[in-house]
Amino acid sequence: MRSPILRRLRLGALTVACVYVLTFLMVIALPGNPFQQGQHHIPPEAEMALRAQYDMDNNWVYFWQFLVGALKLDFGPTFTYNDWTCNQVIASSLPVSMLIGLMAVLIAVLIGVPMGVVSAVRRRTWIDVSCLTLVLLGLSLPTFVTGSALLIVFSVYLNLAPIGGWGTIAHLPLPALTLALPFIACVARLTRTGMLDALGSDFVRTAIAKGASKRGVIWKHALPVAILPVVSFLGPAMAQAMTGSFVVEKVFGVPGMGQHFVNAALNRDAGLILSTVLVFATLLVLFNLFVDLVCAMLDPRIAEGV
Amino acid sequence: MVNCEKRTINNPLRRLLRSRTAQASAIVLFGLILLSLVMLPFSVRWHNAQELTRSVRHPPAWSPVQLDSNQAADHTPRDTSSAFAHRAGSWFGHDDLGRSLFYRVLPGFLVSLAIGLAAAMVAVIIGVTWGAMAAMAGGLVDQALMRIVDTLYGLPYILMVILLKIALTRPLTALFAGHSGYADMVILFMAIGGVSWLTMARVIRGQVLSLKNELFVEAARAVGAGPVYVVRTHLLPNLVGTIFTYGALVVPQAILQESLLSFLGIGIQQPTPSLGRLAADGVEAVNTFVGYWWLIVFPCAFLVVTLLALNFIGDALRDAFDPKSRAATLV
Amino acid sequence: MGCRLASLDWNIVGSMKLKILAAGITLLLFALVVYALGSTSPRADLTYVNPSGIHTLDPSRMSWTQDFRVALNLWEGLTTWDPQTLEPLGASAEFPPMISDGGLTYTFTIRNDARWSNGDGVTAQDFVRGWRRAIEPGSSADYMFLITDRIVGAADYVAWRIEAVTQLSALERLRDGWGIKETHAPAIARLPILAGIINPDGELSQQIEDLSIDWAGVYDDVFTRHVGELDTRFDHVGIEARDPRTLVVRLTTSCPYFLDLLGLPVFLPVHESIDLLRMRPEGAPITAEGLVVYDPQWTKPLYRRNGYPGLITNGAYRLSDWTFKRRVRMAVNPFHRMAEKMHCRTVDMLVYENISAAIMAYEAGRVDFLPAMDVPYDHEIARLSLSGERKDYYLCPVLATYFLNFNCVSDEVNGVANPFVDRRVRKAFALALNKKGIVEQVLRRGDRVAKSFVPPDVISGYTPPSGLDRDVEAARQLLVEAGYPGGEGLPPIELLYTPSDELVSQALARMWEESLGVGIELRSRESKTFAEDKANHRFMVARGNWYADYTDPTTFLDCLRTGNGNNDSGYAGARYDTLLDRAEAEGDTDKRTALLRQAEAIVVEEDFPIVPILHYATPVAIKPYVSGLYTNARLWFPFQSVKVDR
Repeated sequence: MRSPILRRLRLGALTVACVYVLTFLMVIALPGNPFQQGQHHIPPEAEMALRAQYDMDNNWVYFWQFLVGALKLDFGPTFTYNDWTCNQVIASSLPVSMLIGLMAVLIAVLIGVPMGVVSAVRRRTWIDVSCLTLVLLGLSLPTFVTGSALLIVFSVYLNLAPIGGWGTIAHLPLPALTLALPFIACVARLTRTGMLDALGSDFVRTAIAKGASKRGVIWKHALPVAILPVVSFLGPAMAQAMTGSFVVEKVFGVPGMGQHFVNAALNRDAGLILSTVLVFATLLVLFNLFVDLVCAMLDPRIAEGV
Repeated sequence: MVNCEKRTINNPLRRLLRSRTAQASAIVLFGLILLSLVMLPFSVRWHNAQELTRSVRHPPAWSPVQLDSNQAADHTPRDTSSAFAHRAGSWFGHDDLGRSLFYRVLPGFLVSLAIGLAAAMVAVIIGVTWGAMAAMAGGLVDQALMRIVDTLYGLPYILMVILLKIALTRPLTALFAGHSGYADMVILFMAIGGVSWLTMARVIRGQVLSLKNELFVEAARAVGAGPVYVVRTHLLPNLVGTIFTYGALVVPQAILQESLLSFLGIGIQQPTPSLGRLAADGVEAVNTFVGYWWLIVFPCAFLVVTLLALNFIGDALRDAFDPKSRAATLV
Repeated sequence: MGCRLASLDWNIVGSMKLKILAAGITLLLFALVVYALGSTSPRADLTYVNPSGIHTLDPSRMSWTQDFRVALNLWEGLTTWDPQTLEPLGASAEFPPMISDGGLTYTFTIRNDARWSNGDGVTAQDFVRGWRRAIEPGSSADYMFLITDRIVGAADYVAWRIEAVTQLSALERLRDGWGIKETHAPAIARLPILAGIINPDGELSQQIEDLSIDWAGVYDDVFTRHVGELDTRFDHVGIEARDPRTLVVRLTTSCPYFLDLLGLPVFLPVHESIDLLRMRPEGAPITAEGLVVYDPQWTKPLYRRNGYPGLITNGAYRLSDWTFKRRVRMAVNPFHRMAEKMHCRTVDMLVYENISAAIMAYEAGRVDFLPAMDVPYDHEIARLSLSGERKDYYLCPVLATYFLNFNCVSDEVNGVANPFVDRRVRKAFALALNKKGIVEQVLRRGDRVAKSFVPPDVISGYTPPSGLDRDVEAARQLLVEAGYPGGEGLPPIELLYTPSDELVSQALARMWEESLGVGIELRSRESKTFAEDKANHRFMVARGNWYADYTDPTTFLDCLRTGNGNNDSGYAGARYDTLLDRAEAEGDTDKRTALLRQAEAIVVEEDFPIVPILHYATPVAIKPYVSGLYTNARLWFPFQSVKVDR
């Protein structure tokens, strides 16, 4: 499987490069001044000088200079947080986001898959409808509502978790759970559809005809097949969970990476936008590759097509 | 009980109509739409009726808050339907400016739905055009277009929406000079639609690629029909199912995106209400001193019901139209 | 990327591989947990919350009150303020200083026991270094004007430096073969080498690019000459370290509030170790563009590049730890003269972006002090405070005003005619407002209705003019006079604001619609777009606020001077400017106050470039077991005299 992996990596690198170019174009087209902070207007000469210092007065130069820096993993300064570099910002927030994202995906799989299986097996009964309704609630409420509700119930009234912040294991479950809710719905739906397809397929009928038990059919024959679309979905889902958690970070006070996308955009901070986008795109490419490898592992027939 | 019967029904529409959850959802949705439309004249009049003296943050009540004699004259309704409508205004309580939440949630529901549908249409238009173009053109153009889709997938959704919104604000406001309310709505659903078309493009491309090789297309090309004609007359009818399916899935996503943008402060422009805006305001008012439960319960209830209904309908559509599905997976 | 269905025999395929995969994921998870969670430390003596985190700890660049709060506990300037009366007090320098030449020369004697956190003595040179950083292009920022406006020679020095920076930036581009921008061209045209060659009336950038000159040589020439003159030019600025303990400052005009000004972070000293982190490409003291730049990491406590010992400060506290977006920990500066007597040995500043969560944490006892409670239900907090139910909630009237800007200068806004160039229309809109309704019914958080721009009862010795009361009839009459009877003929009025002003803006719109019969269009923009639209006069009515920089009316009134960078309304009042100029030159305090009052009366009673709506009152929460924290109009909280008896 060597050369397909390399080929995918090369393709991924090309995608990341395209992402960089596209983001750069969007950034320079944005109106707004990144150097204006606070209530006083910055004198125009000072602004001109700052632009010259950061090579931001010449887009072409900035493009190459940032790219060269990025390849050396040095993402330059950020104006949103004056005393920190993009590297420090990403280095401190990415592990936090990765942890929460990973936990969220795990929770989504651990809850969503069984729900989907139950729903599929008990198709067209009230169990199916209630399971579906329950998981779809995760997709029917905005995350800031579910997050605030969980915060108030578990942290304030039940005193089971710290009130936001970060630093101990106890800070982890609530944000991860809030983030997981929409994914639980997607995973359950995918599992359900996959299971229904699998249960209606020929090889399952063969297995039943051969005398396999009900439990065996569900867990040993149908589920491994049904799980493939879920695994495939997990790739982009993990990248999304890691970087799209702005609301969770705001509600629970978690120092993750999602807020930097939003703050960088609202502050027109070119360096931070570009660096976070590059990190996101790289993560996405890597996760997609990883997830495809796992798929291939589960189903050897895919390995040849990878 | 594992049911192994293959109960495939070939007509997708009939499959759709058999789904009980879809039926229930549709009934509920239409009921709400009907209610909102009936109350629309009152909503338009009263959605921004600020009462700074008597009803600020008043909890729900069966009848309007007691008026003092000075104000009674302005507010005495003239006929029974108006009187009833006036009474209904207190059912959901009042917000920070004394406005009736009832007459904000109902039009808010319509606005959210409208944004969702508009964004879905934008996504459909862009996605279908993109995918069809890529598939029909083939070769390098196809590769380039799909490469762009891959690139756009690699951009974080939330960043894209914000950047699009910021970028579109100035030109569209200038275009709609003097009607900034409309400009904002257009900007909003264009920004949301502008990031939601990617899956649609991929799926449509796949469909068109497989349809391209069908006999009837080859026959049309043999007769000399141009690619646009082929797409329009022969391919589109076959794509309708997929379009509806994936389009319907965009609607609830778009409504949630709008609520996220409202939470960030860059969503729909006040005083136009939307469920997302009302929910965001309600959440921020949550505190441990005084419970303003009505500010969050009612908008969220509407939001949940609407999105559940839309999700169920979307699922039913997908199950009905998905050509690969071999089992009747409807509930 | 699709994974296709297949039939598998579960037992054979990949169970080994899957086990390895599962083990790998578990290991990764464990490693992440350990790394991402970091280490915990015991609770500090005093814990407080700052919602947004520190923007910067660089004293020359900071402009946010939250940053000031930390910086002024870490560093100590020449003076500071009494936490209860806000009177200037001595800090690193003996108080009062020697004032001579009719208030134009201040001579400060640095205290013997003023020490840095590594034991070094504080010298006058440290102050010169700090003040110079505050005006040098490359390390200066918006508060630079406090030095350039008042100190002899500072404005000239900065102008000379900026000219050189512009020339060097442009010459760099010419040397590398890029064209120059039109904005840089005039500076290049002023180079002596181009005198007589360039036609000043033509398109400069084109002419310059067409010349065949050895730009590299010109660049080197200008650069070397500039470097040579740097220090000699700075000697002309009125900041002098006569000896290690004497600092002499010369002002351009007498400034009665100068000692009050000196408490601000822009006047803080900087330890000499910062020179280890000066960016010196090729050994020169300035960068290639002529900027003075220091490694921004100099504010970190553990930064060690180039032998740097980490941040050294001279205040009551030193910086012990700073994790991004989580916490700033300050610990006692062992060399400070008050070190023995301080009760609070450690202070933690936590970052809670969700202020409701911060309030919940305060209620649960995890936070001791909340200097800001900016939430949508602050009316409830105000009620609890005013009724006495919660004695630990305080409503602090601050030296800040919320007002509306009218666009006095543009004829058209976004293609629509702007009616606010007419004074009568502005006055009409101002008189029609129900400010009391906004303060008492909409916001209900204990702010004070504003009739004047400068808040009353805060600046001792200054009573602002009484302003005009609400008068809807007069407002309608004014509209008739201006040619818009009953609001007819007026275009839809655009009200520009940021999302935090939602409620007030909606209420304002409603008020105008009802009393004047006009149509209002609400335009909420996020802050950067808002700031740009405001700066470029793309609004009809825009919200504004101003927090006083120092305790004198001019901090407010200077904003409305013609051409001032913060004059968003574009107001150009000749009478107003003259009165302010006369006040600046006036030595007698009473006469000066009278002139300022007259000027302010023009704004709030006649011309109405702005309409003040309210003076802020900030709710602050201080736990009862914390003593030594006093509320004041500048939200200035020194921690050195705080005692926590939990």
